[in-house]
Amino acid sequence: MSEPMAPPEQKASPPDSTRTGPGRLLVAVYGLFALSASARASVQIATKFHHAPVAYLLSAFAAVVYIIATVTLANGSPTARRIALVSCSVEFVGVVAVGTWSIVDPATFPDATVWSGYGSGYGFVPLVLPVFGLLWLRRFRRGRPTGR
Amino acid sequence: MSDAVPTTIIIYGLALAAYALLMTALNRRVGLVLLVAVGVLEILLLVLVGIIVARLADGGRPASVPTLVGYLIAAPLVPLIAGFWGAVERSRWGPAVIAVGGLVAAILMVRFHEIWPVIHV
Repeated sequence: MSEPMAPPEQKASPPDSTRTGPGRLLVAVYGLFALSASARASVQIATKFHHAPVAYLLSAFAAVVYIIATVTLANGSPTARRIALVSCSVEFVGVVAVGTWSIVDPATFPDATVWSGYGSGYGFVPLVLPVFGLLWLRRFRRGRPTGR
Repeated sequence: MSDAVPTTIIIYGLALAAYALLMTALNRRVGLVLLVAVGVLEILLLVLVGIIVARLADGGRPASVPTLVGYLIAAPLVPLIAGFWGAVERSRWGPAVIAVGGLVAAILMVRFHEIWPVIHV
């Protein structure tokens, strides 16, 4: 009971596109967070916005960042990669800033956001995801073939 | 009887994730065994959706009906999307996508219980 062997990886050449290989996993996890963060933010803003406006607006901002990262990583054109680089950077700064803010000033966060406590409510995936995103994007430097 | 379904999904989802990650470690791509395993997860989730819809039809209501309905729609999509996205990848990262699907299915059971505590896990 086992799966077929994968073709050997060509370590020397750059990857085909941002959405294949490890990128396939990244796009999947980014897509998951894009969906869950936007669903969560919409319900929170629609039903109880005044309960925790700052937290809910930050949830919505995080949702937008995840959507942009998902779409640009799945697209993979040079322009998309540049946007992905910015959005992954914003995401990393955001999770560190909001994580710190939520610990220093818990009164502003009566309800959790995706990024509060450095993403502790989501197994700290929000903290490591932008790091992997940026590492992945580093493999597509300017001048390298972009593939399909 | 119906309480056994979420528990089964947690155990099955985690086992699927473990097997899929083993395949990633062994440099395998997605094959028939993983696709059938994802199909079984899909069936389990559809059974759960049926059980929860029956409870709603009996007049039971969670604190937030829209949230529950959102999860009822999203849950059966998890194995479908993970299976497709994993199968189109011809490298070891295909099974890794399916591992995420298995983990998400298990986590969804905890979320269902939080949304509506009558759904025991």
